[in-house]
Formats: sequence, C-alpha cells, structure tokens
Amino acid sequence: MRDPFPPLPAGEGRGEGERSLRSRPVLYAAAAKTSENPQPFAAVFLRWVSVPKETNRITLEVSGLDADTLATLQSTNWPATNWPRLLSMFVEQSGAEPLPMSGAHRVEGGKLWFLPAFPLEPGLRYRAVFDAGQLPGAATPLAGRFTTTLTVPVRPERTTTTVTQIYPSADVLPENLLKFYIHFSAPMSRGNIYEHIRLLNEGNQAVELPFLELAEELWSADRMRLTLFIDPGRIKREVKPLEEIGPALQAGKRFTLVIGRGWKDADGNRLKETFKKRFFVGPPDRTPPDPQRWSYQAPPIRTRDPLAVDLAKPMDAALAVRMIHVVDSSGREVAGQALLTERERIWRFLPLQSWKSGHYTLVVETAIEDLAGNNIGKPFEVDLAESPTPRLEQKTVRLPFELR
Amino acid sequence: MKLKNLFTTTLALALLAGAVSAANWTAGMTEGKVALKSAGPITFGPEGILFVADTKAAAIIAIATGDTQAGAAKAFKIEGINQKIAALLGTAADQILLDDLAVNPVSHTAYFAITRGRGAGATPVLVRVKADGQPELVSLDKLKHARAELPDAPVEGVQGEGMKQSNPRQESITDLAFFQDRLLVAGLSNEEFSSALRAIPFPFQKVANGTSVEIYHGAHGKFETRSPIRTFVPFMVGDQPQLLAAYTCTPLVQFPLSDIKPAAKIKGKTIAELGNRNRPLDMIVYHRDGKDWLLLANNSRGVMKIATDHIAGADAITAPVGGGGTQGLKYETIESWKGIEQLDKLDDTNALVLRRAEGGALNLESLPLP
Repeated sequence: MRDPFPPLPAGEGRGEGERSLRSRPVLYAAAAKTSENPQPFAAVFLRWVSVPKETNRITLEVSGLDADTLATLQSTNWPATNWPRLLSMFVEQSGAEPLPMSGAHRVEGGKLWFLPAFPLEPGLRYRAVFDAGQLPGAATPLAGRFTTTLTVPVRPERTTTTVTQIYPSADVLPENLLKFYIHFSAPMSRGNIYEHIRLLNEGNQAVELPFLELAEELWSADRMRLTLFIDPGRIKREVKPLEEIGPALQAGKRFTLVIGRGWKDADGNRLKETFKKRFFVGPPDRTPPDPQRWSYQAPPIRTRDPLAVDLAKPMDAALAVRMIHVVDSSGREVAGQALLTERERIWRFLPLQSWKSGHYTLVVETAIEDLAGNNIGKPFEVDLAESPTPRLEQKTVRLPFELR
Repeated sequence: MKLKNLFTTTLALALLAGAVSAANWTAGMTEGKVALKSAGPITFGPEGILFVADTKAAAIIAIATGDTQAGAAKAFKIEGINQKIAALLGTAADQILLDDLAVNPVSHTAYFAITRGRGAGATPVLVRVKADGQPELVSLDKLKHARAELPDAPVEGVQGEGMKQSNPRQESITDLAFFQDRLLVAGLSNEEFSSALRAIPFPFQKVANGTSVEIYHGAHGKFETRSPIRTFVPFMVGDQPQLLAAYTCTPLVQFPLSDIKPAAKIKGKTIAELGNRNRPLDMIVYHRDGKDWLLLANNSRGVMKIATDHIAGADAITAPVGGGGTQGLKYETIESWKGIEQLDKLDDTNALVLRRAEGGALNLESLPLP
C-alpha cells in the first residue's frame, strides 16, 4: 500500500510536530511559502482551533489564501468531491488505509475551514493535511503539502465506579431463577458487556453461556442498571433437562456471579473492584404468587409509619416496586414511596401524608413476577396437558384493608 | 436487517389488498433534521425508506433516504469494515458498535446503524457503503421523515400525586420488518419477561397506535409463555401471510399475521426445534430451484438452511425434544458460513453478511445464496 503521507521534501512546509489539545487550547501549526512557482497564496497557515466550551471539539483553519482562490472555492464550479483532496483530517492507525474523517468544508471570514462531524477521541493521534497543489489555479500538483498532527491526551483513569447491589439479594435462589439486576454507582458503557460477567460453579469453573446475550443490552435509561436474563433455554424444565449442556443453575449447589473490574463506566474508567455474589441454589419455584397468602401490618393512623406487606416469598425487585399500589376509598392512588426489605419479601410503603382512618385497597398488577418469572395466576410454564389455555385474564388483583 | 417479503406472491397479494400506492409512501413526512437518540435495528420499506428503531426514545423513525435509483448488486468483499467506518467517524474501531445492517432493495446499497462511542456521549449514526466500497456518513440534516411513538412507552413512574420516581423500565426492539403496508416490531422489556409484537400501519398515522401481543408457543414439552422473539420474517404459507419467529432458545414458531391485533394473545405453532447452544441472530427468505428457503444465522454454528415446502402441513411440536435435539422442518447447516454476525439479502441470488474473520477482523462480504 502506498504511504499516504510521504515525507515532504526539504524546503516544503511542515507542521511543528505533535500538539496537545489540553496544554494549548488554541493550537498553531504554520507552513511557510512553499515553492518558487507562482501560487494562489503568499504564505499559508494551517492550524487546529478548539471549539470553545466543547470537549475535544476542534476545527481546522487555513489562512493566507487570496480572495480570488477563496471565491472559486465558494463557487459552484468547485465540486464537493474535490474538498477531501484539498483539506482533510485523518485518524492515524497502524495497518489501515487512512480514510478522511467525515465533516464539512466552509469558506468564511477570509479563511478556509474544515469542521469534523465528531469530537476527537482521547488517546488518538490525528493528522491534518492541506494540499495546496489541489487549489484551483495551482501551477503544479507538487505545489506543497502541509501536514500537522495532534494527539488528544488520555484522560487519567479514575476507578471509582462500583457495583452497588445485585438483585435478588437473597443467598438462596430458586433453580429456575429468571434474572438478575446489576446496579452500578455511575452510568456504564455499552458494548460487549457479557465478557465481564461470569457465572462460576462450585469448582470455580465458568458455566458456559448461562445468560441471554442480547446485542441490545437491557439497560435502564440512565445506564446504571443492567437486566441479566438467564437464557430460557438453560433453565431447568420440569420434564427433562436439556442434556446437551444442561441447566445453568442446579439445586443443591453453590454458584458465584462475578462482575469483572475490566468493565468500563461511561467515562471509560474501569470499575474500582471485582464484585462477587455468592449464592446457594434451592429447589425450583413453579407456584405463582398468591396475594391471598399475603399479610400486612397496619400502620397507626395519624402517623406516616410504613404500611408493611409480607409477600410470602421474595419477588422481582423492579416489578414489586412498580406494580403494587395503595388506593383510598375514593379510588385515588395514595402518594408515597415503595421499597423492598427482607430480601425482597417485605414491601414497605411510606405515605407522603399521614394515614387517615378508613378503607383502602392494595391494587396489584398480575404481571408482577416472583424470582422464577411466575405471574399471579400464571406460572412461568404452563403444562400443555393440564391447562391448554392461560388461566387468568384480569390485569389486577385487589386486596381491601382498613385502618382505624 | 432484512426486507423479508420479496416474493411475487406477496407482492401480488399486497396489490390485491389495496396497499397504499407508491406515490403515497412519503405522505405526512416532514423535511428537516432527523433527531435520533439511539439507533437499533433497521430495515427497509418501499422506495428507499429506512425504518430506524430508536429504543432510547421509544420510537420508530421512517427516513426517506432519497436512495431510490435502481442499481445492480455487485459481488464484493470489504475487509475491516469496522476500521474503515471508525476512520470515517474519526475514532478507533473499539469505540464503535455496528448495531445493524440492512440492504436497500432498490439500490442494493448496504446501510449500517452505528453507535459512535460507548459511554455517555455515544452518538447514533447511519453509514452507507458506496459502490467503490468506501463508507460514507448519511447526513440526517435535511431528510423527509416520520415518527411513530411506541404506544406502551415507559412513562415516569408515579406513586400517587406529585411523587415522581424515575422509571428504569425500557423496551428494547429486537427486530423490525416491513410487510405490505405495516411495520412489524418485536420488543423486549428490561423488567417483565415478555415479548411484544406490534403491527404499525405505514404511512404512520398522526398517533400511531400499534398493537401489542403476547406470544405463546410450545417447546420443551411445555406450553411456554413469554420467551422473547429474537428475529422474525413475514412469509406466505399458501395465500396466508404468516410470521415465522425464531426465539432465543431456537424453536421456530409460526403464526398468522392476521392474529396480530390489539391486546391479542397469540398461540403460535412450533414447527422446528433447532437444538440449543444456539442463538438466532438474523433470518432471511429466498427463492431457489422453485422453492422458498429460510436462512437462519446464529451465533454458534454455520447458518441453517431450512426448506419451507412442508410448512403448510407441518405438525406442531408438542412433545418434549430431549437431548438438546432437533425436530420438525428439515434443515442443513452450511458449515462454510462461519462467524456471521449480521445477515441480509443483497439481491435474489446473493446474501450480504457481516462476518468475523479469524483474527478478529470484521468483513462485509457478499455470498451466493446456498
């Protein structure tokens, strides 16, 4: 492959070597007059100009071109396809043929500008090339080629982001567990996340492909919570395990979920430390949650003490917070905040206003899930022979209670 | 992803059904800057209209690319396409994600949905590959476009009056396909383990009310309820439009498109168990030797070529398929197609694939359909 940036012959203009974006906000690289031939300029200056208040945003400025040349560049006689040959920016990468960066060329204020479409990336080296030989009216294509490079400094790494919680928080999990939620202390990066997540068995060996690896990656909008589904093809079925690789989790055994510290946060920093969640696997849970078995502890009226509801077993942390509501006798939702305690078994509700005496209803969406993905009135799997149709069609279950 | 319905039978049916005439596809579109928060799966509709799933905004954007000049597909191979695209975007190859690939069936030009950057400042971009094999940025500054907000988009959670809690629920879109006059969208929540399939009429109505369905399918001897759809393809079985969907644990399920109605619960028919340790990625349908074939790319084996001529009479698989085994429609594995990460149809006789070569390079290449 031809070297796209051949060393310039002596006497031609050349940039002043590497520049640091941060050390000098406005950078300057000059090129002297280049040849004895008549040229459409006297002296051309090529420099990097940082865009104020925008991190790593830069423009390229070419000054010193005469007015006639600039007018031609602005006219319709100058085809857009000529721009990249005249003025371009490249990422320097080894082994790859350089392609000009996408961006816009503009003539403004007596100067020629290139505005890259994207900010520059920390740690990369960029090269700007202005080829005066491509100017309209240039005497010879060898008239002068000016280049200058710029290295964007790497941000110093700050490893402060941690895994703050993994749900379910219990130490004993059902064999047919459906998902984990991993919470981080700061927004995380996207892409190839599964290489940082391992499920280890008792012998400290990684379980093969235990999770549903979705390219979409199931993040919350703030990228601080990841949902990790166990591959439904790896959840042990009632009838027969999948013999080829077997279920991911097996009752009676210990496992460790490991979140590797190589995982980078949204600022590109690795995690502060590796996080491990050790747990024991119990029998599968194929019993749908049954609100008739729930019990509650009534808070005293005229206080803002929490209403506590015992859900009879640990429930899915995200859905239990979202899908249980308190409604007063007039049907209005009571304002307050829900949280889960006791390994996601107790649902607590802190009202915004003090409780009044009267009738209330706990409204529970039937789509709520336990740890194995069973819904109210509908197990995760329905046996074809036993029940060919889904059993429960209603969207909510209502549990009335009274405060006195 | 793929334009999944280029069969003469399908097109004939579309005409019979009184599908929107060609001139009206851009009706109701506005010209201006296309605002994308994210770019997930993409697929082409008619006349160079590209549908982009914007998961972050819970919306689908239809973009008239203006790429409507008919062109012939050429065989090609571009090595290190990810590096070329990274250079174009002024960044390093490990700082871009190639989220999806789609071929414009009119011009046979390849389009990529790309995310530039992996952190907070990540930017969605569209890139197309020119005839000379070089990528170019698709400018979104001034294009005709229309937007459909997803009907069940997550709203800020409200616990009673005035107590707003941020709602971390989000729905990811796993696949898109255009069929006749509808855009079919498969989605997956990051909380409930459910699969929603929507049929959104196109051109989008003022308020595009899609439909949401739950899908039931038999697998593993169970009437398994809510496994998410990974990839799907509209397909004619006789004169009935059907959807063939591949699930995460690889059963192939068939159900009639006419069943996709608001709040409907569809019971699909499992027509093939393709074995486990195997995740479906992309699916296309093509015609060869007088038959329709299904090509299914997955993450662990070569692609599977599945004969569809027995679909109409296929029995539903209801008994357990043990030993990670396979059952149902016959298929052969094309071993030479290894490392396929994205798949679309380039033309009637060629596929376009994004392929991870040994050594890690990502290549974009055309391959004759098997």
